[in-house]
Amino acid sequence: MSKYDNPMSRQVFSLPELIRQQYEDLEPKTRTVLSFQEIYNIQRIVLTGCGDSYAAGMATKHAFEMLTGIPTEVVPAIELSRFYCEKHLGIDCLNPLVIAVSNSGSVARISEAVQRARLHGCFVLGVTGNETSPLGVNSDKILKLDIPSFEGAPGTRSYEVSVMALLLLAIRFGEVRHQYPMDEAMDMRFDIRDQGDLLEKMLPDMAALCEKTAEAWKDFPCYDFVGSGFDYATAWYGQAKILEATGRFAMHINTEEWFHLNFFARDAKHMGTVVVGNTTSPGFSRTKEMVHYANELGRPMVVITDGAEKDFGEKTTYIRVPSPKYPVSMPLTHFAPVALLASYIAELIGEKYGRGCEGDWAFADGGAGVTNSEIIVK
Amino acid sequence: MLANFKINTKYNDVYDIAEQVKKVVEESGVQEGTCLVYNPHSTAGLAVYSPWDPAGFVDLDEEIRRLIPTKVDFRHQHDTPQDAAGHVKSALLGISGNFIIHEGKLLIGGSQAIYFLEFDGPRKREFYVKIQAD
Repeated sequence: MSKYDNPMSRQVFSLPELIRQQYEDLEPKTRTVLSFQEIYNIQRIVLTGCGDSYAAGMATKHAFEMLTGIPTEVVPAIELSRFYCEKHLGIDCLNPLVIAVSNSGSVARISEAVQRARLHGCFVLGVTGNETSPLGVNSDKILKLDIPSFEGAPGTRSYEVSVMALLLLAIRFGEVRHQYPMDEAMDMRFDIRDQGDLLEKMLPDMAALCEKTAEAWKDFPCYDFVGSGFDYATAWYGQAKILEATGRFAMHINTEEWFHLNFFARDAKHMGTVVVGNTTSPGFSRTKEMVHYANELGRPMVVITDGAEKDFGEKTTYIRVPSPKYPVSMPLTHFAPVALLASYIAELIGEKYGRGCEGDWAFADGGAGVTNSEIIVK
Repeated sequence: MLANFKINTKYNDVYDIAEQVKKVVEESGVQEGTCLVYNPHSTAGLAVYSPWDPAGFVDLDEEIRRLIPTKVDFRHQHDTPQDAAGHVKSALLGISGNFIIHEGKLLIGGSQAIYFLEFDGPRKREFYVKIQAD
């Protein structure tokens, strides 16, 4: 454990056991939550959520498409509830399948989104820990999450479990639709389970580097998180944790758009830059170029990767993360360093998570900012 | 005497195992007795079939599929529709065969061969040959 140990970092250190435990819980549930008929009926998939649950959708969208061959979109809850074209809802008998993720199930916009999706003929699978929540009661089927309680902190364990639940669903859909044999499906499942052991081995080195980085970056006014593909989901998650844990400004952008936008930022030497770049990514060459130019700008930088300096050819700080057998398993562990970094910076600057929902932030106490909202379904 | 053989199967494929069985019989030294060929799987079968025309296997496959189609409303939903159909095929076609050993050789007709039938796959499979003297 670090000298900057705190509830959020303790959540991160609990992830290996959580992965092993949740695998045992979710493996059988994801087998049975949808029938063969329901799985064969899927023509399109919409993944939706808010906050970390939205990031979980981004982290697994490519896995759904790679493993099932089914076109899959990630749609923010407010887009689905207020803007998504009605003509594209309720097509081809109960399509698209809308997979809505919210551990609490009480987020207003998700409730609204699934009510609208069902009103227009979609099939809704709710992924939630609360069957009687608005998400639970407005879903056709529920994948029930049972995440053991832990010290409160910006979502780390719930994000882990959301990503795992979605990955296991993707593997199941592909298995039933005979995209690969059962033995291969099991091998992919075991790879998910094994990420707990891999993460456990790497966490001490990861934490030491995050600690050093937090010390160097604690007074920076802002942070820039960059990645593409499912690495982008990790980058997105990273900026979210900085905002929640530290209250500092943070940006998220994909590696291509970084060259269009974020590199223009003036105060480069005081902008903590976190690049998420797995070596198997189709976008890896662009990530390397981005790392090179971030170095030229003098950006303080860490690269979160399953690779090493030799893969990037640049001198900077590399935080090693597990290299799974199946790249789709990467989002299960690659977010751990960004959560640690945010937690250590918060601890170093003495910031309360979510500003403690005190003073000007009191309106958000108990999640009221996202649960108390007018529901409009049409 | 008990012999074990491994097969890495492909999806829904057929494997001629007659030569392996004949060899076990001959190497056993048993002159008169019986031979049991046993497949310890629940989504694979064992059959005696004619080896002479490869199109015959297409007929067999088509008839098995006609009788037991892979469908999405099987009650057994734990694995896959292919797996659920495979269980039914395996149960109906059987997973073992009994043969006679006579004068140290497998007594088998000229138009007969022994086939391991994969109803799912690709899988790592095995089968056993048990030799018993009279």
